[in-house]
Amino acid sequence: MSEPAAPEPAPVLSTEGLSVFAGSREILRRVSLAVPEKKITAVIGPSGCGKTTLIRAMNRMVELSPELRIEGTVRYRGRDIYAPEVSPVVVRRRIGMVFQRPTVFPQSIYENVAFGLRLDREEEDAVERTVVTSLRRAGLYEEVKEDLDRPALSLSGGQQQRLCIARALAVNPSVLLLDEATASLDPIATQKIEEMLRELKGEVSIVLVTHNIAQAARTSDVTAYLHQGRLIEMGATSELFEAPREKLTEAYITGRFG
Amino acid sequence: MTATVDPVWGTDSPRWRRRVAADRYVSYLLPLLFLAVLYPLLDLIYWIGAEALPTLSWRTLTTNPSGFGGGLLAPITGTLYLIAISTALAGTVGIVAGMYTAEFASPRVASLGRLGGNLLAGVPAIVIGYFGYFALVLYTHWGMTLVAGGITLSIFMIPYIYRTADLAFGSVPADQREAAFGMGASRGQYLRRVAWPIAFPRILTGIFIAMAIGLGETAPLLFTAGWNFVPATGLSSQTSYLTGLIWLYYSAPTDFGTELALAFQAAFLLIVIVIALNVIVQLIAERYRRRLRGLFR
Repeated sequence: MSEPAAPEPAPVLSTEGLSVFAGSREILRRVSLAVPEKKITAVIGPSGCGKTTLIRAMNRMVELSPELRIEGTVRYRGRDIYAPEVSPVVVRRRIGMVFQRPTVFPQSIYENVAFGLRLDREEEDAVERTVVTSLRRAGLYEEVKEDLDRPALSLSGGQQQRLCIARALAVNPSVLLLDEATASLDPIATQKIEEMLRELKGEVSIVLVTHNIAQAARTSDVTAYLHQGRLIEMGATSELFEAPREKLTEAYITGRFG
Repeated sequence: MTATVDPVWGTDSPRWRRRVAADRYVSYLLPLLFLAVLYPLLDLIYWIGAEALPTLSWRTLTTNPSGFGGGLLAPITGTLYLIAISTALAGTVGIVAGMYTAEFASPRVASLGRLGGNLLAGVPAIVIGYFGYFALVLYTHWGMTLVAGGITLSIFMIPYIYRTADLAFGSVPADQREAAFGMGASRGQYLRRVAWPIAFPRILTGIFIAMAIGLGETAPLLFTAGWNFVPATGLSSQTSYLTGLIWLYYSAPTDFGTELALAFQAAFLLIVIVIALNVIVQLIAERYRRRLRGLFR
């Protein structure tokens, strides 16, 4: 154990004893972890370990699956996001999500990014400014600036995924949850997204679920390792990869299973 | 007898030869069956056209029917009024109900709704007509009116629109739904901004089918819409309609009037209206569908 050098800054997002059940099966078992602010947190683990369920619990997306039951708490800046007076809609504005497969809407590039802003009925010139900034932040603007009215579905898979990130960024969330966001992309598109995430992390806290161990090692500051629904180990990425404390973690990152 | 096995294909046995032959027969049979479906339709259109066209003139479209012939102005306007009323009503109810079933209802309520829709689709048109007669003509003391006919016809059309709306909203790709909710969209915003544009072309097709069937119906209107030799002047006036004219004039022609020709002309017009409607609907739906290309993978 290392010495506590400085007091830990308050986490932007934390879970306490978070369990998720599908019937009697426990997908997530009393997971307690803290997501540091403005860092990239990777969540790794073998298929079916609950990593997707974990981040879906972090912005109440689990509630869209009525068969799932949640126990424990998730806090955003200290506030319980499942408290009865809190609307899931508000939670998801602060804690955005990008999915494994790009999910652009069948509209123009511009309208896709403007989607969340239109929900807020913002002024059109404010919308336009935010669309451009968001496309820039997602590293897509230079490729699409000629024609923002093109159908978004005509973009390549990697571009579509960056468009989804731009769309999520447009509403200015504090946390961005990425669920295997590069799993369906080729290495070059993946690299572009990783670069973009590294640039973004000064502004947004990022939680990156990935089954790509190398990606976690390359891009994240903190890594959490999940195994059969349990949080096995969490710590600075460099430490976790160089000197894992747990045998299970070591076995996974050295490729003995997964 | 031992089957000779072809050294290359490895498949030359009597049984295999039977399968190849069967495949060949079926591939001849299918086009024949296709023709068997198509032929009666083409024959019907030819027959009606041949009877209707020789005496069809501008005058037919611009004059009102008389007791023994005349033109089709009143029934044409009546049919258009009726279908406009019933499409507006059935469209609203069907789409909202389909939206509710697909998006808001619990599984049990949803299956109840679908069952109800199927049952309503199975109710004979004449029974719906009778229901309209009791509920809208007698009970309300309206008498036979354009609006009673339109409402009764809309009850007949609702299940067709409801069913396609339910299916269309239900088949919006799950990831579109998740993406919208993941952005912090409410259900209303999801329905309006994401689901509606995706579901709309399919719903439009459902509306067209309902309109086409509604245009051809007589039974729901017989006891509700009444009859009129001049165009209806308001919602509370009686109205004539093309199918009613066909039924009336085809079943009891006089030997000195032109009722038969008029009935054929009305039938011909109905076919033309349905085809034109189909073309218009497909053009609109295609414009919307083009925006969805690449969405259903």
